[in-house]
Amino acid sequence: MEEEAEAEEQQRFSYQQRLKAAVHYTVGCLCEEVALDKEMQFSKQTIAAISEMTFRQCENFAKDLEMFARHAKRSTINTEDVKLLARRSNSLLKYITEKSEEIAQINLERKTKKKKKLEDENKNLNEPSEAGADESES
Amino acid sequence: MADHSTHREPTPRTLLRRVLDTADPRTPRRRRSARVGAQRALLETPSSRRLRSQTKMTAGGNPHGTKSSGRLVHAQASGHLEEQTPRTLLKNILLTAPESSILKPKSVVKPVPAPQVVPPSRRESSRGSPELQLPEPEPPTTLVPALLAPGRRKQRLRLSVFQQGVDQELPVSQEPRGNADASSLTSSLNLTFATPLQPQSVQRPGLARRPATRRAVDLGAFLQDLRDTSLASPNIVLEETQPFSQPLVGRSPGMRLSLPLPSHMRAKDTERATSRKTRSSGPAPRNSSPGKPAQFLAGKAEEVNALALGFPNTSSSISGPGVEPLQDGVGEEAEKRMEEEEKGLSLSEVKEATGARGPSGVEEPEGYMEVTEAEGSLGAVEAEEPEGSSEDEETSGRTASPELVSSTPEFLQPKQLHQLLEPAPPPGAAILSSEPLEPVSARLHPRPRAIGPRPRQDPYKTGLSHYAKLFSFYAKMPMEKKALEIVEKCLDKYFRHLCDDLEAFAAHAGRRTIKPEDLELLMRRQGLVTDQVSLHVLVERNLPLEYRQLLIPCAFSGNSVFPAQ
Repeated sequence: MEEEAEAEEQQRFSYQQRLKAAVHYTVGCLCEEVALDKEMQFSKQTIAAISEMTFRQCENFAKDLEMFARHAKRSTINTEDVKLLARRSNSLLKYITEKSEEIAQINLERKTKKKKKLEDENKNLNEPSEAGADESES
Repeated sequence: MADHSTHREPTPRTLLRRVLDTADPRTPRRRRSARVGAQRALLETPSSRRLRSQTKMTAGGNPHGTKSSGRLVHAQASGHLEEQTPRTLLKNILLTAPESSILKPKSVVKPVPAPQVVPPSRRESSRGSPELQLPEPEPPTTLVPALLAPGRRKQRLRLSVFQQGVDQELPVSQEPRGNADASSLTSSLNLTFATPLQPQSVQRPGLARRPATRRAVDLGAFLQDLRDTSLASPNIVLEETQPFSQPLVGRSPGMRLSLPLPSHMRAKDTERATSRKTRSSGPAPRNSSPGKPAQFLAGKAEEVNALALGFPNTSSSISGPGVEPLQDGVGEEAEKRMEEEEKGLSLSEVKEATGARGPSGVEEPEGYMEVTEAEGSLGAVEAEEPEGSSEDEETSGRTASPELVSSTPEFLQPKQLHQLLEPAPPPGAAILSSEPLEPVSARLHPRPRAIGPRPRQDPYKTGLSHYAKLFSFYAKMPMEKKALEIVEKCLDKYFRHLCDDLEAFAAHAGRRTIKPEDLELLMRRQGLVTDQVSLHVLVERNLPLEYRQLLIPCAFSGNSVFPAQ
């Protein structure tokens, strides 16, 4: 039992480490881009610090999101929760709202497309039957 | 005895001996007889000595006899000075030492019946005897039974005789005469036989001198006041305030935020109460003036524009959603704060404030009333730093903000716009806010102009200045005025931010009222409430018991839970 728990913990830990490494890599790439843009170099410690901060902040975000979802008496995290989370920074909030609107539009379009398809199919089904009926009548 | 004592080093014993020898300058005879008795004592045993003295006493309570008996005791003690301890020495000193006699022998002699003539010395000695921790005296009718008792019966005998006299005295004069000494003596005698109390009822100076600096909070009275005022308030308050302002319905006993410096808060509360009254009456007439509403609206619209999305500035995010929601949230907080005020006066103030604020009071009166003030203000409390004063900070800051909001737009604009980068195109929020503002202005009209134009800085600053003072107090260092001002600014921003958060949380849950759940969420985000530490735990830790029973649901008999959930 204890061994299992320990193994689990170790697994988690290694998983965490891998995630951290991934974050670190991404942060490094972004920092390189910025460095090229601003013509200013980033030291390794800076990148490490940023990645560590990002990772911890992600943990906080996750907890906050869960709290917000629970606050709204939902069990699923929504875009609303994300927007609430991002309200502090106005530019970020704006960006997120735009993106969310885009996504909403896309969803709508998809829905309408699906509906059209369904309608078309129904029409197709109906027409031959109608045609058949007409033919039979006539 | 004194002779050879001087030769040695001045030990406590020798000193005490000296005191004994030099004691009682009143009766020089004593000394002599003491010396005589000392010689006698050296030869005799203590008990036989006592018996002899007792026999002397029976001879008639002879003053001389008693004196000698007293001296005998003294002598007995002094006879064995070398063997006896400082304690016994002290005892003997007390027996004989009479400098600080509380008894005025004459006055006591008077009431005592003639046969019970007790000389002062005897009284003194008998008074001294309580120090000996004698057992409870039997009130002997005669001296005979006492004679046979072993041990320090002699002293007790004297004491009991004296007590007889005292007892007789007592029925004669139930009340202590003008002579406080006698009364204290008698009362003390009744007491001191068992306990070695000072005969004189000496007040401990520390207790007597302690000044009552802090006015104790009478929670019970306060709650009672609230209940009474809540019952009676609607009529009373309505007269004073605008017809449209809502009566404060359903006021659960407001939470009085306990503070480490209750006296400070009380003083400041009353200050603020009085100042707020004038303040709220100030802004109200101002707002009611015809020219102002338009300006007000324009100002609000501008503000809202300025506060539109797209500002990275944190201050703008603070006042983000718009002035009106801010007003709402802030007004509600102000109401809560107001409720904390003790006086019914505060009720009228709150009404005024609600009237002045207008939109918040008008639109969602019920909503705000719903707020469990206790929980809400608790949340507000806990939302602050552990510093106790922060509780009031937040609330007073919130009271400051409605004042600010309802104050003239000119004042508001520079404050708000100054923090904003650039005005943005009017969003829909501006339209929203402008709508409720119109009825506000209409409602503000009927308000009579009670007080002329007051300095505009006051409503904004007063609430926060109090906290700035607290800040300077806790800093324990002198502070510059500029620093205090900046502290006030920071507090203001902080409170606005918190209120905005609360409003956002409520909106997130699809509500227009801030509920305790919102506050709990806020505290969670602040890290005060965690998975390990729940809200109830914080309540228990930081609030007094009376609030605890108001906040934490507890089951009572009859299948009832208070407070109701």
